[in-house]
Amino acid sequence: MNFDFLQIVMVLGTLLCVLGVILCIRTAGKRFDQIEAGHKHVNLGVAHVPALASAKLVAFASLIVLPAGAVFLANYHTFEGVHEVRGCVGCHVMLPMANDMKDPKSSTLAARHYKNKWIAENQCYHCHSDYGLGGDLEAKMTGFRHLARYTTRTYHEPIHARVRFDNKNCFNCHAGTPRFEAVQSHKTAHEKLASNRMICLNCHGQAHPTSVQRTPGSNDYARLMEKMK
Amino acid sequence: MRLLRWEAFCAIIGFVLTQVFILKPGPYPMALFTFIAQPLFALAAIGYLVKVIADLQKHRDL
Repeated sequence: MNFDFLQIVMVLGTLLCVLGVILCIRTAGKRFDQIEAGHKHVNLGVAHVPALASAKLVAFASLIVLPAGAVFLANYHTFEGVHEVRGCVGCHVMLPMANDMKDPKSSTLAARHYKNKWIAENQCYHCHSDYGLGGDLEAKMTGFRHLARYTTRTYHEPIHARVRFDNKNCFNCHAGTPRFEAVQSHKTAHEKLASNRMICLNCHGQAHPTSVQRTPGSNDYARLMEKMK
Repeated sequence: MRLLRWEAFCAIIGFVLTQVFILKPGPYPMALFTFIAQPLFALAAIGYLVKVIADLQKHRDL
């Protein structure tokens, strides 16, 4: 049987959460002052420990250790989940980007990368890698803001990127390659590109459908919003 | 230390929301985990630590 990391995270996360709930229920029902007065012992199989020590250990596990484990696994799940295209299209406002990317007739930068198999998998994440675990704090805060705006429905279509796209996302693959280095304008504009004063899209065209295409009621809107198979 | 009741309830809600997110990842479960479950876990941990410190001070261990 083959298990991937996400399945292991699911199983471990479930175990931690179920155990956490059980131990929390036990902790919620405990009166520590009464246990202290009772001076009883608990048999843990390998040792007899005072009932108070056992109850405190259970409280420590249920309120500190297990929540820490569950939070770690769930955050791991979050950062792994954002790698996949289906993770991005979980928010339907991202459907136009993914549908256009997979459209063989489209000539946007994303579509050209996809149909030419320049990026084999996790295409969204490859070009927006600052969203992931390696990204900076600003990218994380942007992700949280997007999540809050989406789930509270405080956004308007077409959505607009508030942050400037970081050229580093392109340089991760292109910088240093013979084709990239052979272009004179890359050398001329190197300073501006490195400092993001000039973006790659200035010369290389639209990355995704235009905001006009993504506006509800436009001719392309229904096609771009089709649910992905 | 007498009771850890509200801390345990906070953690239980946190565990349930975390479990939902782990099993069915999506924007809404993710928002529940990020904006509700994690602060509840933090609240439970802070409440627990405050009571532990108070308990240690009462017994003059600290």
